[in-house]
Amino acid sequence: MRIPRGELRRSRVVDDAAAVLRTVLDEELTGYVVFEPQDALLLGETTRGVVTFEDGIPVLAYDTEREVGGRDGLEGFAVTGPTRAAVHAVDADALADAHEVEAFRVPPGEPARVLAGDERLAAKTTDAAPAARREEGRDQSAVESFLADADAIEEIRSEAREEARARASEWGLDDVLADDADDADDADDADDADAAAIDVGPDSR
Amino acid sequence: MVEAFAVASGKGGTGKTTSTLALGMALAEDYDVTVIDADTGMANLLFHAGLDDADVTLHDLLVDERDAAVSDAVYERFGLSVVPCGTSLAAFEAADPGRLRDVVAELAADTDVLLLDSPAALGSKSAVLPVVLADRIVVVLQPTVPSLSDGLKVQEYAHSYGTDTAGVVFNRVRPDENVDRIAEQAGRYFGGQTLASVPESDAVRAARREGKPLLAHAPDDPAADAFREAAARLDVRDGDGREVAERFKSAVVPERI
Ligand SMILES: Nc1ncnc2c1ncn2[C@@H]1O[C@H](COP(=O)(O)OP(=O)(O)OP(=O)(O)O)[C@@H](O)[C@H]1O
Ligand SMILES: [Mg+2]
Repeated sequence: MRIPRGELRRSRVVDDAAAVLRTVLDEELTGYVVFEPQDALLLGETTRGVVTFEDGIPVLAYDTEREVGGRDGLEGFAVTGPTRAAVHAVDADALADAHEVEAFRVPPGEPARVLAGDERLAAKTTDAAPAARREEGRDQSAVESFLADADAIEEIRSEAREEARARASEWGLDDVLADDADDADDADDADDADAAAIDVGPDSR
Repeated sequence: MVEAFAVASGKGGTGKTTSTLALGMALAEDYDVTVIDADTGMANLLFHAGLDDADVTLHDLLVDERDAAVSDAVYERFGLSVVPCGTSLAAFEAADPGRLRDVVAELAADTDVLLLDSPAALGSKSAVLPVVLADRIVVVLQPTVPSLSDGLKVQEYAHSYGTDTAGVVFNRVRPDENVDRIAEQAGRYFGGQTLASVPESDAVRAARREGKPLLAHAPDDPAADAFREAAARLDVRDGDGREVAERFKSAVVPERI
């Protein structure tokens, strides 16, 4: 995702992301805020994410380290403790392209909810959003259609099975694999290469 | 009797630690419960249980030349035996994940129910071990696509290691969401049963800030009720403690990755 470089308004370490989101809402910022949780830095890790805004209402979220957008991206930098927040202003026109990326969009109240656990601010932000955006929320119908697609789900499951088995050998855990898992192994060895391409998310190690 | 449950989700932040302690406290009404922070890379159960300054933790039990006894890392809190894990990265790196098996085996000999708070990742041996060692998993889900998808993955990992699904907890459910339909659909893919639908609740966050499990901080909160309901639905199976301990001991887990 490309976000045009904006004009830095202010950058400071805050204890609570809610304070930043509240000010941005009040001043109706169009631009973006870069969040950088400070505790992660102490551990020698970098955690960083961006939220973009249109008239103070969050539009996109993107975890720049894990390169994940949307609600999932948001969770990547939802870390408790002090965070550096750098507020940038950008022309609405310049942001329009980036804001087309559906996959990275978040419902208006989501940053307040996920980054700050502040339901009241989430509700306030949603109320302040344009009517069309107020409807965006956790989309139950998306969950229902996901679960209705039995083939897609079987694919997720069989890929995970493959991956579990491949890794079991890697980790020397072969011997604790269930017997039926071993049997399945013989049946679809050919798919192993595909399984390796699946991303299971960041490792804790 | 003893049964070991891994409380797992695949995805971070769904409420595993919250659920581990809540289910633990609810089960402690009827059973002798031991709760272990098996999320050794990103431990945080200690903060949820007011054990921030615990002297000896699971990390001390996972090092090669350990001088701590398993019992030194067991703290009696809120009617539970709690085994917290430290947060030091150096300690995590010094730890030998394979030793978790021995620790679990020793704890299994002396309790009714073991709950393993499990890591959000599946990418390393230390991350999958809790799921390998447990008898069954409890999957903690949020009613979202990414959470369900990661929940399916962790379940497949578990099943690959012969670990069944005891049931699913839907957590952080918002008032406008009807989980019944989702639960019914999800039931076709997840084993076990839907144990409960836990509402999004301020009391959960407040409890975390207080360093107390939800059931200690706000026992009358609707979220606490839901966790008690989940615990009541969990049919804990009889097992011979010594037998389970033996099984853990014989599980072939090599010394090093
Ligand atoms: N039902 C709930 N209502 C409101 N907040 C909740 C609820 N359940 C969990 N939370 C909050 O969500 C956050 C994550 O919860 P928790 O630490 O239990 O998740 P986890 O799955 O163990 O996370 P991790 O993957 O980081 O270990 C915490 O701030 C917790 O207070
Ligand atoms: Mg946790």
